[in-house]
Amino acid sequence: MATLQLINVKKVYDNKVTAVDNFNLDVKDKEFIVFVGPSGCGKSTTLRMIAGLEDISGGKILIDGEVVNDLQPKDRGIAMVFQNYALYPHMTVFENMAFSLRLKRPKLKEEEIYEKVTAAAEVLGITDYLTRKPRALSGGQRQRVAIGRAMVRDSKVFLMDEPLSNLDAKLRNQMRAEIILLRQKINSTFIYVTHDQTEAMTLGDRIVIMKDGFIQQVGTPQEVFDKPRNLFVASFIGAPQMNFFKAELVREGNDYYVKTCSKTIKVDGEKGKELLNNDVKSQKITLGVRPEHMVLSNDPSKAIDLVVTVNEMMGSEIHIHGTTIDNPAVIVRIPTITLSGTNYTSQFTPGKNIQVSFESKIMHFFDENGVNILYPGE
Amino acid sequence: MNELKNNDEFLNEEITPEEEQALKQLQEKREEKRHMGLKAKSTISNTIIYIILGIISVIWLIPFVFIVLQSFRVENTWMVGYVLPKQWGFDNYIRLFKETSFPRWFLNTFIMGLIVSVVQTVMVLSMSYTLSRLRFKGRKFLMNFMLVLGMFPGFLTMIVLYRILSDMHLIGANAIWGCILVYVASSGMGYYISKGFFDTIPRSLDEAARIDGASRLQIFYKIIMPLAKPIVIYTILTAFMAPWGDFVFARYISNFTSSGMNVAAGLYAWLEKDMINQMYTTFCAGGVIVSIPITILFLCLQKYYVEGVTGGAVKG
Repeated sequence: MATLQLINVKKVYDNKVTAVDNFNLDVKDKEFIVFVGPSGCGKSTTLRMIAGLEDISGGKILIDGEVVNDLQPKDRGIAMVFQNYALYPHMTVFENMAFSLRLKRPKLKEEEIYEKVTAAAEVLGITDYLTRKPRALSGGQRQRVAIGRAMVRDSKVFLMDEPLSNLDAKLRNQMRAEIILLRQKINSTFIYVTHDQTEAMTLGDRIVIMKDGFIQQVGTPQEVFDKPRNLFVASFIGAPQMNFFKAELVREGNDYYVKTCSKTIKVDGEKGKELLNNDVKSQKITLGVRPEHMVLSNDPSKAIDLVVTVNEMMGSEIHIHGTTIDNPAVIVRIPTITLSGTNYTSQFTPGKNIQVSFESKIMHFFDENGVNILYPGE
Repeated sequence: MNELKNNDEFLNEEITPEEEQALKQLQEKREEKRHMGLKAKSTISNTIIYIILGIISVIWLIPFVFIVLQSFRVENTWMVGYVLPKQWGFDNYIRLFKETSFPRWFLNTFIMGLIVSVVQTVMVLSMSYTLSRLRFKGRKFLMNFMLVLGMFPGFLTMIVLYRILSDMHLIGANAIWGCILVYVASSGMGYYISKGFFDTIPRSLDEAARIDGASRLQIFYKIIMPLAKPIVIYTILTAFMAPWGDFVFARYISNFTSSGMNVAAGLYAWLEKDMINQMYTTFCAGGVIVSIPITILFLCLQKYYVEGVTGGAVKG
């Protein structure tokens, strides 16, 4: 049982740099929250404030309804896994994991410590390495030990600070899957920091996207992907990133049109109704369309012209980079299975003109301030 | 394409098995020659390096060998023009311990060494850990200030220190306590090297230990100290050795009282004009004895001295 609340949390460093500001978040019991954002966005600082490794300049942090602002890290009921593992190099794996148990007062019995450590080692599959020193372990094994050290503490909240960023790509995928399994086993509240959106999307129940110390959006992976609140979230989530076109939204009676790339495209279906329901006025907008939502088309009513600059063959799909009047850097993802012939790249040689189109339902409209017109958030 | 084909044909036609073998042999010979060249080169440079090292070590060792040999000379006690003693024996050592104040000086210095090494190590390590890990107002200033302060030669303060110690009755026969006080008092300033070492231990280890429930003190002696073994040993060694070599200050505050001297100050008296002829070989014996505790200590601790222990702490 552990809930976590952050109320107006703020962090100002000694050199007057504000790292985190106006941070509000309610974490439910056993929820897996991922903080994601570019480096320097304050995600690690927030985590360290929850851990008690950084002072809180303003606001309140509550764990299980109790304000922990002035509590020592050990008294907050948290455990933390560090980016560089931070294993004690002079101790064996067993001693590393037992360290916190040995410091507990009243003292635990030696059998009790042994039991807890071996149980955690069992779960993580590191029983064979218990007598080794960290330097004799591989990166993945060290990571497991670090997680094990956090596990034995029976803590209410589990904090992880970019735990996978030091591993190579293959191992990272494997460990990611293991963290999902681990979560089912230990059933605790998780806060996970990463700059990797794949990790964020696959692990998180909810994702907190941060930039420059402010929360940009909080939501489930599906929400932040489908309904990005602003241009930053839209560009940050999804790879390759969303295409943005300078455009104009025009309302004619009850119909909406988007003018971009010297085309006027009717916004039909649900999207048009939604615009109408929100009584959206005609205005200059930024139109967002994800690369995977664009298709090759020669429908003159909505296809826009694109001049190919580069093509990237990815195997199952081909990424076409091109320019249009209203966006000098468009990326289109075309699954190769939809293409005819076998020599796919020759169909998109640089300099070639192609036509692409997109459906109304995947259009994203952002106003002049970069805020999503339909889903501006709270 | 066509050209390439022709070329291939040309190659296929022209090379017969015999020729191929000859070519192979030629290549092997070339390889061998190259290897030989490399080998010869490294042999020559190694020889030169070892010759230079040999010469340097001889130059360094001459005074030691000389003193050891002189200390075993029995036939006379003054300086002579030859190196190898004509008569060997332990007379000088026996005299050193039976007839002179040397045992007292040795004991004095040993006590100083012991106390200074313990207190100074504790002070230096806590000082450097503090400067490395804690952030407080005036930290930068303190560090710079001590650095500048350390640049002044120690004997500038000698007269003042003499006055102060004299008021505290820590001169003359009590000079060793005066010396200890002065050595220990300034020891915090020697933080530089060990702070550099602590800086290389990742801070995340401290943080992990804090989360695990360790207090600052527990972090210091359970996590940092075991990792800082080389620097602890280094600090102990240098602190222990200082009193053995200190001459100017020790002699000054001993105020010519024999019982308050350390070995350096004591032994020096034997090199003065009216003493040297009777005491020269005894002086050499004293020099040899002085080197023994330091050598033993160094031999015991040297394996930690070079051992790196931080491997595997973080990403490797």
